[in-house]
Amino acid sequence: MKKPVLILAPLIAACAGAIALQQGYLPETATARESFRSSLLEADRGPDQKNATDEYVVAQSGRTPAGRTQPAPEQPPAATTPPKVDETALRYFARQGDQRRLEAEIARLRALYPDWTPPADPLAAPVQTDASLDAMWKLYADGKLAELRKAIQERQSSEQGWTPPSDLIDRLELAEAREQLVNASDLKQYDTVIRVGAAHNSLMTCSEVDVLWRTAEAFAKTDREARAKDAYAYILDNCADPAERLATVQKALPLLTRPNLDVLLAKAKITPDGKSEFDSIRDDLARKAVADAGSDPKLVVSPADVERVEKLATATGPSDPLILGWYYLRRNNFEAAEKWFKLSHDRENAPSSAQGLALAMIARSRPAEAEAIMYEWRDSSDGTKAVYIAAVANLLAQDPPVEIAPEILQRMVPEVVEAKDANAAQQLGWYAYLLNQFETASSWFSTALQWKPDDEPSSYGLVLTRQQLGDTAGVAAIQRRWAGRSERIARLGELRKTRQPGLVPSHERFGDSLEPMQLRPTLTTPLALQDMQVPDRAAPQPASPRTLADRVAETISRQRMETTEAPLMQTEQMPIQRAPEARPRRSAPAPNNAGTRSTRGCTTTINPQTLSPENALSRGWCLMDINRPLEAAAAFERGLLSRTEAARSDAAYGQSLAYLRAGLSDKAAVAASKARQQQTRQVELDIALLSSRATEAFNAGRPNEALLALDQRARIAPERTDLMILRGYAYVKLNRLADALRVFEAVAATGNKEGLRGIATVNAIRKREY
Amino acid sequence: MRASAFLLSVFLAFAGSGVAMAQNLSGTVKPEDWAAYKTRFIDAAGRVIDDANGNISHSEGQGYGLLLAYLASSKADFDQIWSFTRTELLLRDDGLAMWKWDPSAKPHITDSNNASDGDILIAYALLLAGADWGRNDFVGAAKTIIGGLGKSNVVKWQDRLLLLPGAKGFSEADRNDGPIINLSYWVFEAFPKFASVDKTTDWTQLSINGVGLLNKASAGPRSMPADWMSAKTQLKPAKGFAAEFGYNALRIPLYLMRAHINDQELLTRLRKGMTSESGEVVITDSESGSVKETLPDAGYVIIPALIGCVLDKTKLPDSVRSFQPTLYYPSTLHLLSLSFAYSQHPECL
Repeated sequence: MKKPVLILAPLIAACAGAIALQQGYLPETATARESFRSSLLEADRGPDQKNATDEYVVAQSGRTPAGRTQPAPEQPPAATTPPKVDETALRYFARQGDQRRLEAEIARLRALYPDWTPPADPLAAPVQTDASLDAMWKLYADGKLAELRKAIQERQSSEQGWTPPSDLIDRLELAEAREQLVNASDLKQYDTVIRVGAAHNSLMTCSEVDVLWRTAEAFAKTDREARAKDAYAYILDNCADPAERLATVQKALPLLTRPNLDVLLAKAKITPDGKSEFDSIRDDLARKAVADAGSDPKLVVSPADVERVEKLATATGPSDPLILGWYYLRRNNFEAAEKWFKLSHDRENAPSSAQGLALAMIARSRPAEAEAIMYEWRDSSDGTKAVYIAAVANLLAQDPPVEIAPEILQRMVPEVVEAKDANAAQQLGWYAYLLNQFETASSWFSTALQWKPDDEPSSYGLVLTRQQLGDTAGVAAIQRRWAGRSERIARLGELRKTRQPGLVPSHERFGDSLEPMQLRPTLTTPLALQDMQVPDRAAPQPASPRTLADRVAETISRQRMETTEAPLMQTEQMPIQRAPEARPRRSAPAPNNAGTRSTRGCTTTINPQTLSPENALSRGWCLMDINRPLEAAAAFERGLLSRTEAARSDAAYGQSLAYLRAGLSDKAAVAASKARQQQTRQVELDIALLSSRATEAFNAGRPNEALLALDQRARIAPERTDLMILRGYAYVKLNRLADALRVFEAVAATGNKEGLRGIATVNAIRKREY
Repeated sequence: MRASAFLLSVFLAFAGSGVAMAQNLSGTVKPEDWAAYKTRFIDAAGRVIDDANGNISHSEGQGYGLLLAYLASSKADFDQIWSFTRTELLLRDDGLAMWKWDPSAKPHITDSNNASDGDILIAYALLLAGADWGRNDFVGAAKTIIGGLGKSNVVKWQDRLLLLPGAKGFSEADRNDGPIINLSYWVFEAFPKFASVDKTTDWTQLSINGVGLLNKASAGPRSMPADWMSAKTQLKPAKGFAAEFGYNALRIPLYLMRAHINDQELLTRLRKGMTSESGEVVITDSESGSVKETLPDAGYVIIPALIGCVLDKTKLPDSVRSFQPTLYYPSTLHLLSLSFAYSQHPECL
């Protein structure tokens, strides 16, 4: 289970990033060209850090001496005599009915001259029509700055002594500077933006914040974040327009770090309905923080932000719960992740929420649900496809295995083939393996290797499968390819060769509806082993966590340890071939090279008498591995001549096992006595011998002898179910029906069908009799 | 001997130019010529239009426009052109102008690199107008540009100062055959003015080195400089550019004469190489010397004619004495040539 889930991590990361973008939580840069422009000034003093204590200065008038002034409206420069306020522009705009510019001009003049009172009726002012000047103001109002320049010069040249109103010149100069600044800003010439802004520190009024925004951006883009923050703060401290205030913070969002943003947010006003005007921004910030953390598990998000988003998420919409889902998923809190993904998914069945929900379910070991949710979205994107395939792989790899409905299997297979996903193919291999569909398993493992040639687990699956199919040459070929790189493949010869029908999940367990063909991959070209790439020697060994492959291997060996004989019904048809698996690790003298080689080299017929006793011993075990017990017995006979007692004991043990497997229990008993055995091994052999003897006696029609052997065996080991059945039938043969019934009932109580069948047999006999 | 003789002539030339610069050039473009020019090539926004190149504008055109407006003594037109130049082109962080402005593109700037001749022309015109008309804002703007040029475009290379054509793409670091130079970007008459307001860069040295390079750039059967040359080792045509004496280089003699660098040998060689037997200007292949194009336009033809005037007091042919606007580039060269003739060599008219 662990391994398939592991592949979720990159999947989650990739998905989360994409989702954050889709949802628009990553704010866009503010580049909109607003109709209002103003400017801010600030000498270009280099990056913040160098002189962080410098005040950030925003002046409001071109008439202010360049220098540091407070942002608040200031005193006119010459305080003694009231300045003559140039109202030309004011009156022009009033005559034109240009209310917006009229108000802007009043605001500007008020900022310059706090004592000034605007005329009650600008239209009622003394009519001094100057058509030429009006034309100039019109050029100004139309933004025809170059033409205005030309017009002013022409009049100065033609009209002796005429000077343009200073207001007109100031405004023209500012307008040109604004154009230059905006163009530079659009072309990302941030130094120019700051230079022009600094040289025209009277561009600044609240009625036009665009230039201020652009200057703030220029500061931020040239590593002067504190100045950028000051510029934004200036607007929030001085300007009232709610939309512009909101836009100010929005523009600051992508440019300032969180602490500076928090400074700006603290300047929020309380709206008449009691809310904070930047609540929506705070929400967005919290969303962004949580969304960012959804793609980077190392990010730490303040609990307040998470709480805020959770509050938002409970309200409406699928997107807020979605970012919470990713957030928790990336922090391995799968329960919370599932909760939020589910909420999002319930509100809108979309690929993104389905994806997250499926990932959470997979992580919570519910891949079947994940598969069900993802199926409809599997083709939406590469990401959804990957999640679907992950659900499939995890579903197949469940431990313990679960039954998968045929229609589900049928829809999964073509997806795996289309995705060419080696891991899912491998899991299909194991699934088929567990159903004893070895041909199909072999095909899937081969397919997995075609898609991922250096895959050790798939190679392991293939080698196990070939072994089950008795393909010794195929097994050896894989072992050669993995020599020195996979211990478990190399040591496969130590496992049993014989196919064990009814091992791990049986047909019974899964029902008979599963036809092998359902699992068969639909590949046109089967993989030829020769085509397999030789794995890279540097390739890492597969992860050690317990995989399905391990589990299958373990199950096989456990079966060997726990059971000796096949169930009774089978023992009636074939000789008992099972023997205790507890094959000793040859601790004493390490077998020589020839002996080691012989584990793979015992297929040819050799007269064991030509071998050294030690080599013969190795060959004996090798022959056992390929299930040639009589030859093995002969080899062990030679092995009995070994020099050491341990080796002789080993040989006697081996020969005894060989005879047991050949169904020759008498010979086995003799063999066991040929050398001294360790106590445990002796008991083990005795148990096996008695089991074998009981079975043989029963099969030979000697139930009394069988019962005798079983009683002897029962004194040294608990009686296994199959032997209890044997005992029951022995009683039946002896017509001890009450005893038989007692035994069968005990067996039936464990749920064993053979017990029920025994009871039925006894009852039938009684019916016939009575 | 030859080298020392050459150096002497250069120094004499610079001495001469100092005297010449004291003269007031304002008013040397006739009002009616200027009116015809601006009607044809300058729009209401102050944009000088290169009508042979898709009506784009560029820093060179704005510089020529400013210079001609000054020479025509038109403060109003100067202000108008300057307004556009400043707000639309002078945007670069290094204080220089972005060179290419396309009316059909958005944003209008389609290449943010600079062209050093454009910046030189703009700054030169600003210095002239600022000094003559008492406009300190012009002088201040000029100084910013001159400082930027020194930083971004003037490089030291093998004991010489070179003028790179642009801040990006021409240096030793930018190209295998870099540095690349364009000798027609040396607007020689501007350098004494620059030297008077900016001590950071040795503009006099840059000017002398430019003339020196012109004396070396005499390869091919016609011994003519190519428009674009690699200065990496020996001067040779730069890769990726047409290897020709072309539209760029044909203004070099005009620039030399306007700067009073009357190097007889150099001017004679250039006149010979650029003139067909019938007196038209020819664009020629640098390697073969073959004629690629013949230019009969008065704005081009007046240039070799002016060499004759300067060297031999030959009068200008009637065909080039009066101005009729044709295309932006030859018309510009024509007015600059006439302005020079009116002010410096009325005897040739």
